[in-house]
Amino acid sequence: MIELLTDYTLRNVVLGATLLGAISGLLGCFAVLRRQALLGDVMSHAALPGIALAFLLTGQRTTITLLIGAAIAALVAALWLLAITRTTRLKDDTAQAFILAIFFGFGLVLLSHLQRHPNAAQAGLKSFLFGQAAALIERDLWAMLAIGGPALALTLLFWPQIKLITFDPDFARSLGLPVRQFEILLTGVIVAAIVIGLQTVGVVLMSAMLIAPAVAARQWTNRLETMTLLAGGFGALAALIGAWISAIGEGLATGPVIVLTMSGLTVLSLLIAPERGWLWRRLRLARGWKPDDRV
Amino acid sequence: MNPQLEVQLIAVIIAAACALPGVFLVLRRMAMLSDAISHTVLLGIVLAYLISNSLSSPLLFVGAVAMGVITVWLVELISGSGLVREDATIGLVFPALFSLAVLLISHYAGNIHLDTDSVLLGELAFAPFDRIELFGLDLPRALVTGISALTLNTVLLFLFYKELKLATFDPALAATLGFTPTLIHYGLMTSVSLTAVTAFDAVGSILVIALMVAPPATAYLLTDRLPRMIGLSVAIGALAAISGYWFARLFDVSIAGTMATMTGFGFLLSWLFAPRRGIVAQIWQHRAQRERFALQMLTMHLLNHEGTDNASVECHPRHLIEELRWQPAFARTIVRQAEQRGLVQRQGELLRLTEQGRTLAREL
Amino acid sequence: MFPAVEIEDLTVAYSNKPALWDVDLRVPRGVLMAIVGPNGAGKTSLLKATLGLIKPAAGSARILGRPYAQQRHLVAYVPQRNSVDWDFPTTVLDVVMMGRYGHLGWLRRPGRSEREAALAALEQVHLADFAHRQIGQLSGGQQQRVFLARALAQQAEVYFMDEPFQGVDAVTERAIINILRDLRAAGKTVVVVHHDLQTVPEYFDQVALINVRCIAAGPVREVFTEANLRATYGGRMNIFGNSAGGTAPAPSLAPGD
Repeated sequence: MIELLTDYTLRNVVLGATLLGAISGLLGCFAVLRRQALLGDVMSHAALPGIALAFLLTGQRTTITLLIGAAIAALVAALWLLAITRTTRLKDDTAQAFILAIFFGFGLVLLSHLQRHPNAAQAGLKSFLFGQAAALIERDLWAMLAIGGPALALTLLFWPQIKLITFDPDFARSLGLPVRQFEILLTGVIVAAIVIGLQTVGVVLMSAMLIAPAVAARQWTNRLETMTLLAGGFGALAALIGAWISAIGEGLATGPVIVLTMSGLTVLSLLIAPERGWLWRRLRLARGWKPDDRV
Repeated sequence: MNPQLEVQLIAVIIAAACALPGVFLVLRRMAMLSDAISHTVLLGIVLAYLISNSLSSPLLFVGAVAMGVITVWLVELISGSGLVREDATIGLVFPALFSLAVLLISHYAGNIHLDTDSVLLGELAFAPFDRIELFGLDLPRALVTGISALTLNTVLLFLFYKELKLATFDPALAATLGFTPTLIHYGLMTSVSLTAVTAFDAVGSILVIALMVAPPATAYLLTDRLPRMIGLSVAIGALAAISGYWFARLFDVSIAGTMATMTGFGFLLSWLFAPRRGIVAQIWQHRAQRERFALQMLTMHLLNHEGTDNASVECHPRHLIEELRWQPAFARTIVRQAEQRGLVQRQGELLRLTEQGRTLAREL
Repeated sequence: MFPAVEIEDLTVAYSNKPALWDVDLRVPRGVLMAIVGPNGAGKTSLLKATLGLIKPAAGSARILGRPYAQQRHLVAYVPQRNSVDWDFPTTVLDVVMMGRYGHLGWLRRPGRSEREAALAALEQVHLADFAHRQIGQLSGGQQQRVFLARALAQQAEVYFMDEPFQGVDAVTERAIINILRDLRAAGKTVVVVHHDLQTVPEYFDQVALINVRCIAAGPVREVFTEANLRATYGGRMNIFGNSAGGTAPAPSLAPGD
């Protein structure tokens, strides 16, 4: 464990992964509770053409340039998605699957174009597909903080309002809260969470880091505050373990390892969490208790 | 046949094979299951490979199809527990299974052609080089499997068209008539999964989603009738396949990627310009409707306030601007139109309904 | 003195299909008013447009003489119970405290006084013992009472309720109607979207019959006539006639009015 603190690469990996897991876990709760779990999936896939275009247009490979490109593409995807469901009779699921496939397909076109370029600098772009934690450098960590910090601060600042809007938007509107603006803010916050994870987990699997910690945390508590903190903790733990395994293992893409660790935690939570878990329900049934002691 | 033609033929056949179950995925609001299935079939392939130790074993195909159906079953199992909502469940199940597949590949099968790039992109350009002998003909394997999938989907569609249609639009009625909706659901999912496996090898998981969802979504904006929607989906998919191929040749980029992009482009066109449901048509209709609606509102308003105490206020044109929140110019246009159509008359300052206007207002 | 609610020429349209046509409605202060009408008649739209939740195509609504936006702190709202996710991770007390958010500033957190107001409201609906339960563990009737408590915590003058009696047990229905009567006794005004025609004469002072247009509105004795109901429900009247003809005297009381 000492090498964790001394080895430069490992330190970056560990810090980066923990940061990513915590932030995506915390912010992912709102995606799940607002029934937008799959929006995260769509937006993370949709980030790919943004990354490629940012590189193509600026010629720069700095983290922040690429992540800005990713964020813009994700937001454009979210807007087009909204426009389609508002103006056609297509339902959410169709619009989501459509946007996801189209943006990602276009991103692959751009990537295959870049690969035929003689420029060697694009070599790292492919790691955005499944993530490569070992490639994290200190500047990437600052970029993650610069994006995630404000997103977390805004969420904390408007906590009561966000909680109310997530639970009951109609009632919030009747109190005069600017619900539309908050919805935009929350979408932006989810984009921030996605963008942070792209380097480590990759566009294909990033959505799992939004969804799984929230689902796991929900099983252990009935309070939003506890759930959010727990989700951040679960996310950080899974990302830490996953990134570490992948960094010491040989050529293992980080994304899949992290996602599998997180999925394991989630399955465990669904099975053994007190009150809600599968095991508890079976136990209660076996003892002949009623599903709950309603009055 | 030269390789160019073969690639295009394979692409068209796969597009058609995908469009058939795709129509029902879209209509049944299960499009995101195609996302899940097209990713998780990889795990089936890998597991079957690890068991059979051969890339040509039929077990691979069986394993992949089974894994697609297992994915759907898992999603239903978890969301059925009431602990997680269905959308979150999809986002939970497929990344886990897909991650497992990617790791198994990199750990056990790093040297075989199952690399993660071809998973996402497919290798359509190389499809003509993988050939098999059939009835004395030397054919690309992807062409044979594609035609098989297309044939199977077509036959299934003809056999169960009535049942599928009923179970899609009225599952409750289908159940009471004795067509088990669960059976039809899993039948469709098997077909989706089978098509995904077939297409997956040639065009990759992303194009599978694009071909299953985008052409039916486009067709749904163009027609109201199911048979036409099916036909249009197949045609749109085929068109996207061919145009995508030529774009890819022109710019020397990924074929699967350009095909996906072309399906998106086709959708964009019909989203904007579809005859009755497109954005342009909607704006046009909206404008016409707004005027008709305003005329109706005017007569209704006058009818409600005819002969009441404050009729002198309510029936004054200025009141329309204040209370109905119309722009002054719009109010003038509407009043003028109402006069021209003989719905209202001016009586000094005030507006009065004619008999014709009164009839219109009463009919509403 | 201004009426509690004054709706003028309200027209609501969804993609140019009218849900409400030129509705005028006046709710005097200190009454219990029911809004009744068939499904899809625009009852909920009327409520939502009055509260500014949907934008009307035309017309306006005033609360105690002023536009709603200026009178928010005088209004409480009970949405339909099924409009929220009851598996949301929050407690009964938390939900009721949300009723105080309108009185909190932007950056102030709910504190002790909000908590006490919420507990007092829960006491009123007999759910004080459930304050720390997760909302999903309650029965439908109890959930409805939580929403009612949240509205009570708003300490408003005018209360709008969307189907508060929908799918609740008899005990809850009694409890709710008692609270509504207490509110009226305290001089508050309550507007309720209501489904059950039979109980209208017993529960309410005033009634508005809505079917896209406002068919009639006013005191129950005057307005709740068979003719008006027939005009509101059209062909569906016989359902009402069969079930209510023997038991509810009011509809047939004043057919000639």
